Amino acid sequence: MTFGPAVGNVGMYVAREMLTSVPEDQRQSYLRMVEQISELKYQLGVEVARQLPRLLAEHDAEQVSHYLEQVREVAGIGWKSGVEVAKQLPDLYEAPDEELAASYVEIISDATEGTADDAETSGLAKELDDLDRTLREMEPMVKRAQELRSLLAARDRRDEKRRKHAVELAAALPPILARLRPKHRAAYLALVREVARADPEASLEAADTLLELFNGERVSPDGATEWVRRGLEVLDQNKEVGRGYFRLGSKYSLQVLDELEEGLALRAVARVLKLYATALSGREVAIRSTEEMGALDVYSVDNIVLPPDMRFFDEDDDNFTAYKVATAHGAGRIEFGTYDFSLDDIADTVGDLTARYGEAE
Amino acid sequence: MAVESQRVEDFRLEKEPYYLPLSNEIELFEAAYNERLPVMLKGPTGCGKTRFVEHMSWRLSRTLITVACHEDLTASDLVGKYTLRGDETVWQDGPLTTAVKAGGIAYLDEIVEARKDTTVVIHPLTDDRRVLPLEKKGEIVQPPDDFLLVISYNPGYQSVLKDLKHSTKQRFVAIEFDYPPPDLEGSILTEESGVDKETADRLVKIAEKVRNLRTHGLEEGVSTRLLVYAGQMIQRGIDPVPACEATICRPITDDVEMQRSIVEIISTQF
Repeated sequence: MTFGPAVGNVGMYVAREMLTSVPEDQRQSYLRMVEQISELKYQLGVEVARQLPRLLAEHDAEQVSHYLEQVREVAGIGWKSGVEVAKQLPDLYEAPDEELAASYVEIISDATEGTADDAETSGLAKELDDLDRTLREMEPMVKRAQELRSLLAARDRRDEKRRKHAVELAAALPPILARLRPKHRAAYLALVREVARADPEASLEAADTLLELFNGERVSPDGATEWVRRGLEVLDQNKEVGRGYFRLGSKYSLQVLDELEEGLALRAVARVLKLYATALSGREVAIRSTEEMGALDVYSVDNIVLPPDMRFFDEDDDNFTAYKVATAHGAGRIEFGTYDFSLDDIADTVGDLTARYGEAE
Repeated sequence: MAVESQRVEDFRLEKEPYYLPLSNEIELFEAAYNERLPVMLKGPTGCGKTRFVEHMSWRLSRTLITVACHEDLTASDLVGKYTLRGDETVWQDGPLTTAVKAGGIAYLDEIVEARKDTTVVIHPLTDDRRVLPLEKKGEIVQPPDDFLLVISYNPGYQSVLKDLKHSTKQRFVAIEFDYPPPDLEGSILTEESGVDKETADRLVKIAEKVRNLRTHGLEEGVSTRLLVYAGQMIQRGIDPVPACEATICRPITDDVEMQRSIVEIISTQF
């Protein structure tokens, strides 16, 4: 048996034996009535489905419709009362007094609805409804407030870190400034200030690196400014990567520096020059930068001292050639014993030269 | 190693191989040969060890069978093994056995490259027994009187794992080779490659400088053989700098900085 499209979910409430007890021509309307009453509460549908076959068999359509209205009236006030009324009404319709059923419905309706003077309850309910509505309306604001709380807490932590790094910078900067060549001071301070504003932790790295760049004359002030500018871009995107940049710990940072560096850095070609000099002189030599002069006995026989960078020419190949010439010169001094010469040997040397070339006229 | 398919006489050198004596190596070799003492030639790659053996083979009118040893060379490869031929198993002499039977000079080039068992095989040949036992065949081969075993060995790049045992080393008369002195090396270049004396001297100068880099990142200095190649390339019309880069610089190192320093040395001469 199929219930047809109008039936909906009524099949859940209507047992097969109930349906078969309804005359076939009334089954569709039976199901529709059950479905409609079920919309109020499914328990009502269950009870009405149980009672309707009897009503349809014993009463006319008008009485059935009246039954449904009365059930609906009571259920509108309280569905549980409606269920009970739906169950009891068909018996009351059998009473000799036709008014009995109507009175019963009125009594149950009044009892369910309560007295008219219970305005306090209604007021409280209304107030609660209003509050619930307000709370629902406030939900997005509460959520936003939580977000802001988290955000501000994170900023507090960040500011705490910032202050901590600012203290570290305060301690680190004076000794760095003492080592900085005076002519670079203004440019150096401006750049460190710029990085410190963005991120004090990065400025700790930048302070060291810029000292090396300026004192080593590896970049011009404009080059340093450009290097910092690009670093700040990186810092803006990612703090950790940005700090790595200012530490010269990232490939990009070194690339930018290479691009901005002027001249040829000794460290870039030191090994080639060392091998070149070793090959020429047949002795192991070391290539040293003039920057190392303070720390080394640079004029010992195995050292060739060269400037930290070569910028005589625009082209690096030419600068390398300049390095090569200087290295060959140094290798020659080593090979032919310039640094082995002692003032004590002058007398012998003069004697040898005199014997070879004769007395000076 | 299909020595059997060729006549041993094919290994006799008809034309004198060019060799310029550096010291008393010819006298030493001749004396060792006359006493039938096995000879070990020591020296860096490309300094002329193989050419020397060829020259001595020609000089003594003896056949020369050379075995280039490699890390997969086994004692069986050297002395011989049973092989399947059709439906029967036949013994096939290895090059050493062939040389031992035929007499003349057997030259094991870079012996330490071969597997360890090969060095043990040659022991009975190198003392007063002068025999080659063929264990698998149950036979002992007695070489003719004119047989001489010569090995070569490059001490420069041997490791702990690849070195001759003392029990092997102390069976040989050792003749040491090194790169020739500049004037002789120049003469060799002129003779072998056809370059003029000035070019040869420049090549020798480059070699002298580059050899200073041994122990500074170069395993071996540039060999005389590579200098000959450079001379030959120059003779073929290649400009000296690229010719030297191709023959002197690139073959001896893959280190870019080392290559650059060698190129700079080359450019000081050409």
